[in-house]
Amino acid sequence: MTDEDPTDRNAGDSREGADANFDGRKAPNVDSDSRETPNAVNRESLNVDSGRELPDGGSLDGEAADGGTVTGNEIPVQGAVSDALTAATHPSRSTVRHWLTTTNHKDVGILYIVTSLFFLLLGGLLAWLMRIQLWEPRAVGEGLLGAMAYNQAVSAHGLVMVFWFLSPFAFGFANYVVPLQMGADDLAFPRLNALSFWLYLASGLLFVVSFFQGGTFAGGWTMYAPLNLPTFTPDVGANTAILALVLFVVSVTVSSVNFLTTMHRMRAEGLTLRRLPIFSWSILLTVWMMLFAFAALLAALLILSSDRILGTAYFVQETAGGTLLWTHLFWFFGHPEVYIVFFPALGIMAEVFQTFTGRRIVGRKWFIAAMVLVALQSFVVWMHHMFLTGINLEIKTLFMVTTIGISLPFDLMVFALIYTLVKGRVRFTTPFLFAFGGLLLFILGGITGVFLGAIVLDYEFRGTYWVVAHFHYVMVGGVTALIGGLYYWFPKITGRMYDEFLGKAHFAAYFVGFNLLYFPMFVAWETPRRVFQYDAWMAPWHKLATVGAFILGLSFVLMFYNLTKSAFDGERVGNTPWEFSRTAEWAVPSPPPTENFPGVPTYRDGHLAFRSREATDGGSSATSTQPDGGVAADGHAGEHDHGTHASIWPFAVSVGGFLLFLGLSGIREGSLVEGMAGTAYLLAAVAGGLVVFGSLVAWALEPFDSPEGGFGEAWPFDGVENGKVGMWIFLASDVVLFGGFIGAYVFTRVAAGWTGWHPVPEDPIPGLVNTYILLASSFTVVLALVAAQKEHRWGVVASLTATIVLGIGFLGNKGLEWLHLFHTGVEPTATIQTSTFFLTTGLHAAHVIAGLIGALYLLGRSLGGAYLSDHRPVEYFGLYWHFVDIVWLFLFPLFYIL
Amino acid sequence: MAIHAAGSVVPIPLQAELVPRGTRTVVFERIFEVFLALGTLVGVVVVAYMVYNAYKYRDGADREDDFDPPVLGELPTGGGGGRKLFTSFALSTVIVVSLISWTYLTLLYVEDPPEPEMEVEVEGYQFGWDFTYPNGHESDVLRVPRDEVIQLRVTSSDVFHNFGVAELRVKTDAVPGQTTTTWFEADETGNYTAQCYELCGSGHSYMTATVVVMEPDEYREWYANTTADSS
Repeated sequence: MTDEDPTDRNAGDSREGADANFDGRKAPNVDSDSRETPNAVNRESLNVDSGRELPDGGSLDGEAADGGTVTGNEIPVQGAVSDALTAATHPSRSTVRHWLTTTNHKDVGILYIVTSLFFLLLGGLLAWLMRIQLWEPRAVGEGLLGAMAYNQAVSAHGLVMVFWFLSPFAFGFANYVVPLQMGADDLAFPRLNALSFWLYLASGLLFVVSFFQGGTFAGGWTMYAPLNLPTFTPDVGANTAILALVLFVVSVTVSSVNFLTTMHRMRAEGLTLRRLPIFSWSILLTVWMMLFAFAALLAALLILSSDRILGTAYFVQETAGGTLLWTHLFWFFGHPEVYIVFFPALGIMAEVFQTFTGRRIVGRKWFIAAMVLVALQSFVVWMHHMFLTGINLEIKTLFMVTTIGISLPFDLMVFALIYTLVKGRVRFTTPFLFAFGGLLLFILGGITGVFLGAIVLDYEFRGTYWVVAHFHYVMVGGVTALIGGLYYWFPKITGRMYDEFLGKAHFAAYFVGFNLLYFPMFVAWETPRRVFQYDAWMAPWHKLATVGAFILGLSFVLMFYNLTKSAFDGERVGNTPWEFSRTAEWAVPSPPPTENFPGVPTYRDGHLAFRSREATDGGSSATSTQPDGGVAADGHAGEHDHGTHASIWPFAVSVGGFLLFLGLSGIREGSLVEGMAGTAYLLAAVAGGLVVFGSLVAWALEPFDSPEGGFGEAWPFDGVENGKVGMWIFLASDVVLFGGFIGAYVFTRVAAGWTGWHPVPEDPIPGLVNTYILLASSFTVVLALVAAQKEHRWGVVASLTATIVLGIGFLGNKGLEWLHLFHTGVEPTATIQTSTFFLTTGLHAAHVIAGLIGALYLLGRSLGGAYLSDHRPVEYFGLYWHFVDIVWLFLFPLFYIL
Repeated sequence: MAIHAAGSVVPIPLQAELVPRGTRTVVFERIFEVFLALGTLVGVVVVAYMVYNAYKYRDGADREDDFDPPVLGELPTGGGGGRKLFTSFALSTVIVVSLISWTYLTLLYVEDPPEPEMEVEVEGYQFGWDFTYPNGHESDVLRVPRDEVIQLRVTSSDVFHNFGVAELRVKTDAVPGQTTTTWFEADETGNYTAQCYELCGSGHSYMTATVVVMEPDEYREWYANTTADSS
């Protein structure tokens, strides 16, 4: 354990002169375009001011400093620091209410970490069940698990580990650390951040429920069609598992939009993208990949849910190309997902290596360039999972080349990490051991992955334990580094040190268990995946693996004991327990105060400094690079008022979402399950829908302070306010969602024969009329914005009313068209033609309905004279509405003309 | 482009020795051995180098004076050692690219097999395999002659399966509504087991079929006595 006083201090590094300068530069900018929270919150300026008048609540998220009226902030920097120390042991943190309503990124980060570890236990338990079954080759009915129970364990293990453990675990750290590293007070949309977490928990619990509804999904984590349809996996629990995934993807999308807005808009002054620490870089790229990859998965899952619940015909075996459609959609998501789960681990390795070698990473810019390259390329390698599906040689060659291409940047990253050791001062602490071990395992996973890149070998490895062993070395290798991250940041998060001896013991048991578990799988690689009957000669290897699984699993007992105990009585740490720590999270107390920094962080002079949050108080709160958080400055016992910083609605929305999706699971191909259960499901769905709707309305009306961005480095979004950036990013993911649906349509149509497929509505006139209606409504939205800019209240009201009338007209016209089609026997479930028509245009109609709800809300507020001084909500609504119109301009020719 | 490349490699005289030919078992084993040898070598060297350096530069009493540690709050920059990084990167690129290019030549061979002696239709179902011979004979056992190239046309009547015979190194997806083709040549008589390699439901673990490789004469005698009826 290294407890030395860290780096030299630059305490005398006062910057009063610069302060005034800084604030003078910043204030007008912020005042003019970012007074109101972007978060579709639409709170009145009045609310901001009243919030700021609270003695200290308003200052918590830096709103006061950013809001333009800097002199209104009454809290000196020193006071803020002592606040922080109280916050560390603040009684409110031990209340349930605090955790249900918190929106602070650090709290949310802790929630993510703790919850994901729970899912690690669940996934691990399922793995143990599998390993027990694999102890020896089993005949029919032998062993602990029946055939379907085994398939459920296999499928749920994969889904839980990939979705509910790996990424959320990494995003616990991302939540906690990234805002600290980049100098933000919080994420751009704190309530959306809380929503991401609660939706994640709700989706995970929904998945747990699926086990008790006749059995969870048993078709493998890849969910290949048509095994994923009720014909083959009829349990209600299978529906629930798929819907749980949908809810999870919603959580991820919300989180992605939030992180991207934050990371592009809210970096400290002087902290350009190129200068971002590598962990933050890895998260930035991960989130960009998530935004697009998960949108593709959402398209796949919505289509699958529709097939299961409504009975559409995308993936049924009669549909030409339906089976392959699923593999394309899934792997278009699935391959980037590999990097999505691995990148954060890579970022942690880089951080931990640098800290515990005392060296800056070798070839930093090349390391980052390599990551960027991988992130881009990850979207063009998906077909290497499909080499045996009958794709032609040209495509195989292309995907072999891209696959090998994507492996090379990793070579560079691995060498960069290894060379960072050279001439360093390597300290074998627990975090370093895990990061080092993780790299070692990843190297083995990488080498065995090159085997799979050779198509001739891939043909034979397909569906065998070679693949299983390879991706566990890669992904659990990544987990190894993530656990290193847990030890690394544990003192920061808890303010206390873990027990180093137990940490090392954990690593030893973990590393031995890992290799005992996964290495024998390379030897016994000819075992087919997902079976429990295999050649007898492999039995010793499988026994070894099972023993390894138990050692690996039990090693976590040491970790849980160590960390739980240390969280309460570990040795207290100051800002940093680590010699040679560099990044900003180590420059603040452990745990950091609610508002993170004692002043506004800046790198303008080439290193971190905190400027006073107020221009007038610059002298007394002289800034330093090393605020002395270790010494508690007593005397400020004031309770934080969370009135503008806490919200119950993210939790409430998630409860509603849970009920709604649970209720939907009770529908199979258009009809409810029989009996009382059916009624219960229906009630749950209705209740859930109402709770979601009510909570969203309450959310919109709740006054809430979000931190603003744009005070530092905001390339490439300088001058574009957070809310607008968020909307753009969300729409980018929506483009991929519609892209998935349109792609599915084109793919199945080509498979069925393009010319033999006629538009479903014989009469294109209703569609044409709807095209004009939507174009007209886009025009009225523009008029609403113009009226708002001219502060013409009734102009806004009239234009919005016209928009709503046109929107309702669109839906009414579509409703008549659909009714007519139903009467003539054209049903969504009939054929793939009708399925694609109704589902794709239905998705568009759902977007119109969501837009109308938003428009009604705007209309209600505008009657009271809202948006005249601040027209941004109208503008953002317009962005969404125009996007929905543009989508229709694609759908109309595709589904009515061609 | 790929096809053109295929045409152009054929005349190279060395190619026969360089690029493995023969049954798919031979081809696989040869490439697998080379990969295993090189992979082990690279793995051992890299891991040993890594562990050696971690040990060599372990923190101790003798801290060198020229050590320039990072400072808390500094803007991130890179450390030295870029040249070594690029040398290693270039080396690994050469190894990986040449290995893969080499196997690509074999892929072209595997993708363009010798003229098959016989073509058998394979249909997977939950949970078994159905084989149909050119004369219409159907069976749940696949009988083939030794030393002859057999082509398989594989499909599925329900869900996604994957037909594979591990020992003969033949494998292809069985996709409903679609046919994939593959080929193999067995050089030893005996019984082999075909298995499903894609999770397909409760019977997946036991979705096997017997493949019998017979002496060609014996096979022809057996085949002559089969009819379109199921056996």
